[in-house]
Amino acid sequence: MKNLTKLKSLFTAVFLLLGTSLMAQTISGTVSGEDGPLPGATIIVKGTNNGTTSDFDGNFSIDASSSDVLVISFVGFVSQEVSVGDNDQLTVSLVSDNELEEIVVTGYGSQREKEVTSAVTKITAEEFNKGPISNAAGLLEGKVAGLSIYSKGGNPNAGSTIRVRGISTLGGNVSPLFVIDGVPGASIDNIDPRDIETINVLKDGSAAAIYGSRGSSGVIIVTTKKGEAGKIKLSYSGEYSVAEKMNAIQMLTAQEFRDFNGADLGASNNWVDQVTRQGITQNNSIAASGGFDKTSFRVSVNTRDVEGVVKATGFQQFNTRASIQTKAFNDKLSLSLNSSYTRRKSDLGNSQVLEFANVFNPTAPVYFKDAPQTIQNYFTEEQITRSGGYFQTLGLFRSFNPVAIQEQGIYAQDRNEFAYNIALDYALTDNLKIFATAAKNRSSAENRTSRSVYDYNTQANLGDRAGRVDYGDYENESANYEIYGTLNSSLGSGVDMVVTAGYSYNEADFFQKTINVGDFPDEAIDYSYSIGSSEDLLNAGLLGLGSYKAPTNKTIAGFGRVNLVIDNAIYVNASVRREGSNKLGSENRWGVFPGGGIGVDLNKYVGTAFEKFKVRVGYGVTGALPSGSGLSQLVYNFSNSDQATTQARAANPDLKWEEKAETNFGVEFRNGPLDLTIDYYSRDITDFIFDTEIDAAVFGFNRRFENVGDIKSTGIEFTGSYDVNDIWTPTLTLSTNKSELETYTTKDGITTGNLGSPGQNATNMVLVKEGYQIGTIWGPVYDGVDTATGKPKFKDLNGDGQIIAGQDKALDPQGDFQELGQGYPEIELGFNNTINVGKFQINAFFQGAFGHSLVNTWRAFFEPRIGSQFAYNFVNTKYADDDLKAAAFSSLYVEKADYIKLANLTVAYDLDLPINGISSTVVSLNVRNAFVITNYTGADPTPSIVDGGYDAGGGSLSGSGNILAPGIDRRNNYFDSRTFTLGLNINF
Amino acid sequence: MKNFLKITLMSLSLIAFTACDLEEELVSDFTSPYVKAAGGGGGPTYSAGATDGSSQRVSDNIAGAFGKLRSGSAGHGSYWSMQSVSTDEMLVGVKGGDWYDGGIWVVTHRHTVSSAHGPNGNAWNAQFNGINEINNVLAGSITANEKAQLRVLRAFFYMRLMDMYGGVKIVTAAGQDPAQSTRKQVFEFAESEILAALGITAADVLSGSIDLSGSDLNTSPAKYRINQYGAMGILSRLYLNAKVWTSANTAGTDGTARWTEAANAADWVITNGPYSLVTDANFSLPNLSARPASSGLNDPETISGVLTIGAPNNQDNPEIIFSIDFDQASGKGGMPFAQMSLHQPSQNTFNLASQPWNGYQTMEDFYRKYEAGDKRLGWFLSGSQKSSAGKQLVDWAYDDKATAEAVAADGEGVHGTLDLNYSPYINELEPDSWRQSGARMFKFRHKQYQNNDMDNDFPIIRLAEMYFNRAEGRSMAAGDWSQGLADVNAVRTRAGVAPFAALSVQDFIDESGREFIFESHRRTNLVRWGKFTDAWWEKTGAKGGSVGDPNKNLFPIPLSQIQAANGSLTQNPGY
Repeated sequence: MKNLTKLKSLFTAVFLLLGTSLMAQTISGTVSGEDGPLPGATIIVKGTNNGTTSDFDGNFSIDASSSDVLVISFVGFVSQEVSVGDNDQLTVSLVSDNELEEIVVTGYGSQREKEVTSAVTKITAEEFNKGPISNAAGLLEGKVAGLSIYSKGGNPNAGSTIRVRGISTLGGNVSPLFVIDGVPGASIDNIDPRDIETINVLKDGSAAAIYGSRGSSGVIIVTTKKGEAGKIKLSYSGEYSVAEKMNAIQMLTAQEFRDFNGADLGASNNWVDQVTRQGITQNNSIAASGGFDKTSFRVSVNTRDVEGVVKATGFQQFNTRASIQTKAFNDKLSLSLNSSYTRRKSDLGNSQVLEFANVFNPTAPVYFKDAPQTIQNYFTEEQITRSGGYFQTLGLFRSFNPVAIQEQGIYAQDRNEFAYNIALDYALTDNLKIFATAAKNRSSAENRTSRSVYDYNTQANLGDRAGRVDYGDYENESANYEIYGTLNSSLGSGVDMVVTAGYSYNEADFFQKTINVGDFPDEAIDYSYSIGSSEDLLNAGLLGLGSYKAPTNKTIAGFGRVNLVIDNAIYVNASVRREGSNKLGSENRWGVFPGGGIGVDLNKYVGTAFEKFKVRVGYGVTGALPSGSGLSQLVYNFSNSDQATTQARAANPDLKWEEKAETNFGVEFRNGPLDLTIDYYSRDITDFIFDTEIDAAVFGFNRRFENVGDIKSTGIEFTGSYDVNDIWTPTLTLSTNKSELETYTTKDGITTGNLGSPGQNATNMVLVKEGYQIGTIWGPVYDGVDTATGKPKFKDLNGDGQIIAGQDKALDPQGDFQELGQGYPEIELGFNNTINVGKFQINAFFQGAFGHSLVNTWRAFFEPRIGSQFAYNFVNTKYADDDLKAAAFSSLYVEKADYIKLANLTVAYDLDLPINGISSTVVSLNVRNAFVITNYTGADPTPSIVDGGYDAGGGSLSGSGNILAPGIDRRNNYFDSRTFTLGLNINF
Repeated sequence: MKNFLKITLMSLSLIAFTACDLEEELVSDFTSPYVKAAGGGGGPTYSAGATDGSSQRVSDNIAGAFGKLRSGSAGHGSYWSMQSVSTDEMLVGVKGGDWYDGGIWVVTHRHTVSSAHGPNGNAWNAQFNGINEINNVLAGSITANEKAQLRVLRAFFYMRLMDMYGGVKIVTAAGQDPAQSTRKQVFEFAESEILAALGITAADVLSGSIDLSGSDLNTSPAKYRINQYGAMGILSRLYLNAKVWTSANTAGTDGTARWTEAANAADWVITNGPYSLVTDANFSLPNLSARPASSGLNDPETISGVLTIGAPNNQDNPEIIFSIDFDQASGKGGMPFAQMSLHQPSQNTFNLASQPWNGYQTMEDFYRKYEAGDKRLGWFLSGSQKSSAGKQLVDWAYDDKATAEAVAADGEGVHGTLDLNYSPYINELEPDSWRQSGARMFKFRHKQYQNNDMDNDFPIIRLAEMYFNRAEGRSMAAGDWSQGLADVNAVRTRAGVAPFAALSVQDFIDESGREFIFESHRRTNLVRWGKFTDAWWEKTGAKGGSVGDPNKNLFPIPLSQIQAANGSLTQNPGY
C-alpha cells in the first residue's frame, strides 16, 4: 500500500505541473496515422501547458495564437510540430516511429529509447565482437560500460565470468540474469552467436527491479533473429581459426636449469611445448528464414569443432534453433514458438597439466627408456611398469610428468541442453493486451573421467589400486510461467500511460549422481564403460557413490508497473514487485521491492535543439538470495559408517531477504556525429546473507547462514562515440566501480583465498572486513632478504618494534599486515574503431583494465631458490633473487596487472559478386588478442574476479568459485591464446 | 480511466494472491536426527572373532556420538596437532618451500599462537560438535546404559575443553545459552557426571571402597564404548589434573589436588579390569607393514608386545580399555598419520595410496630419551629407507644441493645425498628444516597398501596409563616417588629395558613421555608438571618463542567464537 500512496502523489504532481492555460483563437484539425484517424492524440501549444486530445474521429480543437507552434504526439508515432500561422484548420499526419526510433527491451515490454529512465545499453549484431567466439557472452566483451566479462586464459571449455557493475553481493548470486526471447534464466551457452539480433543490458536497479531477485545482479536480455514474411532467405557463415599460445610463464630452459645446478636427469625438454599445439577451430552456420501471409519462421544449424592450445582439450558442438510466429483473429492474437537444442562433447583435459608442464624438471626425459642408465638404475622394473613407461620422479611432492597425465586420462563431458517456450499475446481492445509465456529449460551433463591403470597421479594409482573412473551426472531443469497485461491509455493533457501488471512463477530443480571406483585389471579397455570390473567393489572404503537432489527452488512474484509520458518530454516509470522464495526463514519469505525512474528531454525545457539531450534518474530495490538450499534450515548429515546423523548446519528461522537498493543518474547526449552517455550509480546492499561463524556451544554447530552486513558500491560509466565523416567511428567506453564492506557483524573480519600446497596452506591472501573494499589483497610487506638465512624480511608496519607476519596474526593489530592491492580493476576500458573504406570494413577493438593487482602464485611457489626446488624448475622473472631461499607470501608476489590489448582486429571485404541470387558475400580476417601491453610477469594480466581455489584436483575447471577472493592468478589458469580466423559469410 | 482502474485492481489482486506454498522440502538432507528404535537393533550385527575390529562394535543408538571422537583426535589441523606440536615431542619443520603454511606450525611450537589460529579453532569446534551430538541423542529415547555412557563421553569432551581453554559454557541440552563457567565449575560438572554414571560418590573414590553395583555402565569388553573401566580411567585422569583444572590462575597452582582419588581410580581399574599390559610373550599380531619376501629385507611376519599397541590390527589388544574406531573399509576415517609424517618417497615402502606430506618430525631430544634396545624405538622410522621392492629410496629434491655435500655425518645418517635417510638430527625448525631430518611416526604403524585414512584404533584409555596415574597419584599424595617405582617399572620393563633402581621426578617424566608419545597426553602432562612453559631447543626467547609465561598453559579461545558469542565469552589472559 505504501507504494500506492507514492503513485498517488506522483499523479498529483503531474497534474499540478500541467495546470491551466491562457486563451486565444480556436484552431481545429484532424490527426491521422497511416491507417486512418488517431483518437487520443495529444495536441499541446509548445512552451505552454495548454493542450487537448483528439476525439474518436481524430478531430480536435485548441485555443492558440498565430505565432504558436502546436506539438502533436501519440504513442508509437513520431511527434510533429506545426506552426499555426494563418491556418485555423489543420490536417496532421503522424508517421509511425517503429522504423525511425530505437526500441529498447526493458523487461515485460519494450520502450522507445528516449522513454527509458534507467541505464540500459543496447548492442546490435553489427556491434558484436567478431572472430571465433565460443560463448555468446564473448560478443559483449568490452562493449558495455559497467559490464565486465572476463574469460581468463584460452581454455575453450571455461565459461566467462560476467559481472554487471562489479560484485553485487557476498554470498548471493553475482551473475546477471539472462532472458532469452522472454525466458528468464535460460543459458547463454546454447546460443549460436550468429542467431542473436540484439542484446539489451539492464544495468541499474530500477531496470532490473521488475525481474526481482534473479535480476538483482543485472539483466541481459537476448533477442534472437526472427523470420519475416516474404521470400525465403538463406545465409551461410563459416570460420576457420588457428590458435596459438600467447605468453608463457617464465621458467628456466633445460640448459639454464643445468647451469643453475639443478638436478640433472640427462635429457632436455620444453614441457610446455610437449603439451601444447596449434588449435584448429572450425565453425559453420546455416540459417533459413522467411514466411508467408501471417506466419514467419527462422531455423538455424551451427556446428563448432574447437581445439584448445593445450592438447587433448576442446569441444564439438551441435546447435539448432527454430522459431515460428503467426497471427490470428484479425491479428489480435500473436503466437510464437521458440526452441533450441545444443549438444556439446568436451575434452576438459587434466587441469594440472600446465602446472606440471611448467615445474616438472626440464632435464627429465618423457620416457624411462630415454633416461641415462645411471638414472634408470634408481628405479625398479615394477616402478617403471607401474608408470606405463613414462618417466616419473617418484617421491617428489606434486610433481608429475605432464605428458603422462595428459595422455593417461580421459576427461570428457557430454552436455545436452533443450529449451523451448511458447508465448502468446492477445489484444483484448486496441489498448489492452494480455501476454502469456510458458518456458522450460532442461540441461544435463555427464562427466566421465577415466584414469589409466598406469596413471601415477593422485588417487588413481594408489597402492594396490590401478586406475580410477569417476562419473558425474548432473541435471538442471527449470520452468517459468508468466502472465501479464499492458494497458495503453491517454490520460489527456499530454499524458500517456502504459500500465503493466502480471504474475510470475519459477521453479528450478537440480539432481546429481556421482560414482567413483578404481582398481582395474589391465589397460585393455576404457574402464569407464565397464566399471563392474573394478576391484574396489570388494572394498567399501574405496567405493564412492553419491546422489543429491536440490529441493525445488521456487520463486513466486506479482508485479505491476506504470509508465507515463508527459508532455512528450518527461518520462516516468514506477514499478513494484512482491516476491516470495522458499529459501528463507518461515516468517520472512515475502518481500516487496519498489522501483522507479524519471527521465526528462531537456531540449524542450532549456531551448536547445540537440538530437538528444536527456537526463534521467532511477531508483530500484531488489531482493537477493544465495544459490544454496536449506539456508534457513537445520541440517544433519548421515554417516553410514556410524548409522547415525550428525548436525551439519544450525537453523536460522529469521533469515530474511538481502536487499539491494540502487540509485542511478544518467545523461544522454547526441548531436551530429557525437553520441555520449554518462551514468553514475550508488548501490546499497543491506543484510547480505553469508555463511557465518556462530557460537558452537549454543548452536551445537559453528556455522549457519545469517544476514550479516551492508555493502556500498559506487561507479561511473561513460560511453562516447564520434562519427568521422562516415568513415571512422571511434567508440570509447570507460567504467569505474568501487565496492566497500560498510558493516560486517564479524568485526575483526575474515580472510579467504588460501595460497595452498605445498607449504603455503593456511595462507589466506584476501581480506573481508568492515571498512575495506571487496577484493582487498592482504599480507606482509616484503623488505628484502636476510642473506644469512635466505628468509624474506618484512616491514614493521605498525611501528611496534617487532615484526609479526604469521598468518594467525593477519587480523590482529599486533600483526604487520596491510593492503597489497585490489583484485577488482578501478577502471575498465573498451575502445572500438570502425573504419569503412569502400568495400572494406575494418574493426579494431582495444580492451584494457587498470588498477587491479594479481597474486602471481607461480612466483610465490616456484621463484624462491629453495633447496628442494632444484629438483623441479624455477620461475625466473625480473623479480627473481638468488639469495631468497624460503617461500612465504608477501607483497613481493602481488603485481600490478594494468594492461591494454588489441583484443580484436577484423578486416572484412564485401566481394559484391555479380551472381544472381546472392545478395552479399563477405570475407573477413580476424585476429583475437593480437598483442597485450602489460608489466605483469605472469601469463595473463586479465583480472581474476572469481577464485577457483588452489587445486582443481585434476578434474575440470569449473566456472563457480570463491567470489570473495578476486585477484589470484592460480597455477591451473590456462594460457591465453592468440587466434587467427578466416571467415566467409554469404547471404542468398 | 475505467480500464486503468480495472488493470490496477487486477494487478493488485495478483500481487495479493501470490501467496502460495513456499515450504522448502530438503530431499537429500536430514532435517531431524535419525534415531534408531530404543534399545538398539536395526543396525548391522557383527560376528565375534572377526579380525577387522567388527567384534568390538555393537549396535546401539550412540554410534554418532562416539563417531564424533574421530574428528581431530588423531589427525592434522585440530586437537591432536595442537596437543602434540606444542610440546617437546613433535615439530612440523618448515622445509624450504614446504610446510611454512603461514607460520602456524612454527608459532604452535614456539607458543606464540594467536586467537585466530585455525587448528586451534578446529579443536574447539570439534569438542562442541561432539557435545551437541550427545545432547541431541540424550534428548531421545535411549537406554540407561547408553545414557550413562554419553554422560561420561560428554564429560570427556569437557575435560579436553577445560584442559585447552579453561572455563567454557556448559551446555547440556540443545539451544541453551548459559554463562561461561569457570574452569573449576567445568571440573565439578565433569566429576559429577562421571560419578553419576558410575553410581558412586567422590568420597567413595577417596576412601577406595568402590562399589559399582549401582552403575548403569556395564563391564562389556567393547573397546569403542565406555564401560565401567573406561569411565573409571577417565575419572582417574580427571582427578590427576584436579589441581590445575580447579585452579583460578593459569599457572595451575591454586587449585585443589586430588592425588589419592586419581590413584584409587587407577588402582581399581588395574585390580578389577580384565586388561593386561602387552608383552612379547602374551600378545602378537600379523605384521601388516611387512614388505614381501621378494624384497629380501626380511621384515618379520609378526609383531608382538609394545609394537602391537598402535598396530593397524590392534582392536583386540588386551591393554586397550577405550579407543577410537578408525576403519578404512567402513569409511571411519580421520587418522592420516602416514601422510602427515612420512617423506614422499616412503610412499614406495608401504605402497601408500597417495603421496605423504613430509610434515611431522619427532623432536631429536625426545627421540634420544630412548636407550638402545628399547623396543619402543620400533615406534619410529629412522635411518636409511628402502622400497617394498628392497630398493634404496631416493629423494630427487634432497637438501639444498649447494651446501648438501658439506653437511657432515651425524653418526646415524648422512644428509645431503640422494638416498633417503631419516636422521634423528634436525638442523632447525625453520626456514629450512632438512627434508630428511627427524625420526618419523610409526607407533601407529602404516600397513602395506595403506589408504590416507588408517585402520589403527587410537587408544584413549589404556592400562599403561593407569599404572602411571597410580604411580603419580600415590607419589604426589605421599610426597615420595618411590611409591611409583613398581608401577613405572611394570610398564618400562616390558619394552625390554632395565628397570629403574629408584624413581626420580625426571625419570617419571621421561618414562611417561617415552610410553605415551603420539597419544596426545604430553601437553596436559607438561602443564601439570609445571614444565610446559620451559624453554627447549628452538622454543626459546632468542628464537622468538614464549618461555615462562603461565598464560601459555591455556590456548586462546578462538577469535571467531569470541566474536560470535557477542560478549558472552571472555578471552583467556594474555591473548
